[in-house]
Amino acid sequence: MTTGPEPGRGTAAAAGLVERFAEAFTSAVPADPEDDGFFGPASVTWRVSADLSAPVAGLRSLMMQALHPLAMAGVDQHSGWRLDPVGRLAATSRYTTTVCYGDRASAAGAAGRVRAIHEHVRGVDTVTGRRYAASDPALLLWVHAALVDSALAACALFGTPLPGADADRYVAEMTVAAELLGVPRQTIPDSVAALRRYLDRVRPELGRTPAAAESMGYLLRLPGLDEEIAALWQDIAGAAIAALPRWARQQYGWQAPPGLDPVTPERRTQVRQALGVLDAVFLAEPGVLEARQRLELRRRAAMRK
Amino acid sequence: MKGGEDEGKVAQPKGRGKRAAQPAGRRSPGLRVSRGLAALRLVARGGARYARGAPRLFAAAGEHRQRLRNDLALRTAEDVAATLGTMKGVLMKLGQMASYVDEGLSPAARRTLSRLTDSVPPMSPELAAQVVAEELGRPPERVFGTWDPEPIAAASIGQVHRAITRDGRAVAVKVQYPGIAETIEADLGNVALLRRMLKITAPAQDVDALLAELRDRVTEELDYRREARNQQFFADYYRGHPTIGVPGIIGELSARRVVTSELADGARFAELAGWSQAERDLAGETIYRFVFRSLYGARAFNGDPHPGNYLFHGGGRVTFLDFGLVKHFTAGEMAPLAAMARHLCVDRDPEAFRRAMEEAGFLVPDAPVPTEAVVEHMAVFYDTVRERGPRTMTGEYATAVTRRFFDFRSPLAAYARIPRSYVILQRINLGVFALLGELSATADWRGIAEEIWPFVQGPPCTPMGEAEAAWREARRLGRSA
Repeated sequence: MTTGPEPGRGTAAAAGLVERFAEAFTSAVPADPEDDGFFGPASVTWRVSADLSAPVAGLRSLMMQALHPLAMAGVDQHSGWRLDPVGRLAATSRYTTTVCYGDRASAAGAAGRVRAIHEHVRGVDTVTGRRYAASDPALLLWVHAALVDSALAACALFGTPLPGADADRYVAEMTVAAELLGVPRQTIPDSVAALRRYLDRVRPELGRTPAAAESMGYLLRLPGLDEEIAALWQDIAGAAIAALPRWARQQYGWQAPPGLDPVTPERRTQVRQALGVLDAVFLAEPGVLEARQRLELRRRAAMRK
Repeated sequence: MKGGEDEGKVAQPKGRGKRAAQPAGRRSPGLRVSRGLAALRLVARGGARYARGAPRLFAAAGEHRQRLRNDLALRTAEDVAATLGTMKGVLMKLGQMASYVDEGLSPAARRTLSRLTDSVPPMSPELAAQVVAEELGRPPERVFGTWDPEPIAAASIGQVHRAITRDGRAVAVKVQYPGIAETIEADLGNVALLRRMLKITAPAQDVDALLAELRDRVTEELDYRREARNQQFFADYYRGHPTIGVPGIIGELSARRVVTSELADGARFAELAGWSQAERDLAGETIYRFVFRSLYGARAFNGDPHPGNYLFHGGGRVTFLDFGLVKHFTAGEMAPLAAMARHLCVDRDPEAFRRAMEEAGFLVPDAPVPTEAVVEHMAVFYDTVRERGPRTMTGEYATAVTRRFFDFRSPLAAYARIPRSYVILQRINLGVFALLGELSATADWRGIAEEIWPFVQGPPCTPMGEAEAAWREARRLGRSA
């Protein structure tokens, strides 16, 4: 049905965002897995990954991660994100989806490939003058913690909030994701309280570098986005900003959109409606519905056991 | 009352007769419009959604497919909210309405809306039973003599079950998804987001009129009692009709989220492809008589000419299903419509025709457009009723009507309007003519129209017309008795 040129489709950098995320998702959800992977259909991680708030979580996660000057420098100097920003984002999404839903061999294989790439990502941050290496467990742990914290924050504000015990379970389950990339197990927070302590501890090292400002500025605007998505993206980016800790917003010099600090029930509903429309657009991409049904069938089978 | 499970077949032109000989020719004259019409049939109604989504999902045999679909069934109100909440239910309704905004939709929007419809699984037997129990006071096995827990079709925001009443009548029971009304009402409240989506998905349309129409129709559909009243209205109006059948409502087994009607069975629209042309002509004549008799005689229009909403019994006998989208016109709303037809087709008075159009609000008064241009623009809509004699409805005619309808380059476009109360009538053009074209139905449409037009009251021009005249006479006598 899409043989003709579609209105609003530009050639600029972010065109095809939904299509490429859908492709990443459908190819990373296994059709015939060897096993249930590192999490499994009964895990909290599966539930959190499928939450409506996931786009907010992903965006907030990138905003947090970029605040570590050395992590940001690695991305800035090596990933070539300016050439293909959407490709870079989709690759990350494919990786996290594979680790979450893939069988153990697929997840470990994907992690091995990322570790191999990380070996070559090293240099000197021009802002702090410090040397960095992407394989540095401290950086990997920051990236991991930012993601886990963002998923919890997005769920709590705009998704289906997790009961306290499930939030702890989620943090504990996710430790394996950090381990897969080479973070020593004993250093990985395994409860919400431990995660909070870690975030407090690391905060003095954080700050907004010019590279962070540039990449996040791009992410908030996403020039060339399909018209259908652009307006929704603004809502969702606003929600991600609102979900950031206040200190992170201050480092960027951002303010939460009206009604989102704190989040009023009306605005929460509106953000969820925008997420719902985005989800409907995502669902229309080839294979997405089928991939979700594969997961749902496995989830239900697990619940029957 | 299977809601059009053959629809996949309908959407693909059946290779028959003339059409089979020139498949490319049928497609080439207006690829954009043809695709639009195919999409119209795809998007038009949720009726076929289980079956339509299924072949792509599960290539396996029917039984296996059924089991998988049941495995995905919605089991709780929370499942319903996750599937149809946060705008998805509203977007789905928009997709169903898209059958009359179709050409205004971008391909991406059309794809989104039809995929969304595919994504809704049926309720689990337990959840459906729970709704019945809440609405009718007792679980379905006790309300009915026999209850089939497997749904036989998807319906608008619900699904259809078969049952046998305690006094032995076979019935179709439509059960609404629990929580859907609350969800959709909340989502309809986000006018800003809806306006934005409509502006993007249907840029050519009057967004406010469309939004108002969407809100009205959806709000109406959420209460099945309204649909029950409408169906009973049509059932009463056509009681005893020689070829038109409308299943009656079982009032005591109907409520806000449950509607029970007599179970009808018959051939599906797609099966007509295998019937003789004479049979197809008769079926077409009945559909045509139903649409215009309802409009002129009962001032009511069933705005849902989806192929899944008809059952065919041969000899022109047709059962009409699904009255979820009925518009009742006031005498004041009908008068200009009748005047337009009379002035253009009977009096042949272009200036009076133009004045009637202005009165109805279709044309801005004193538009700087010559009356000949107005007539030229509108003539296609009346093409089949301007002269006596047999005419064949074709897919090309339906396409021409659709194309003219969405012809924003016409000199008239800047001055033409569709007042809100007539928005639903677009379904005649985009739905009924497409359906009759699909049948290649031949009849003396003008002769039939003259029978129906109150300003002509012509004599019966076909055997069906004779039978209908006898029915009307009997009804008149019955009423005066």
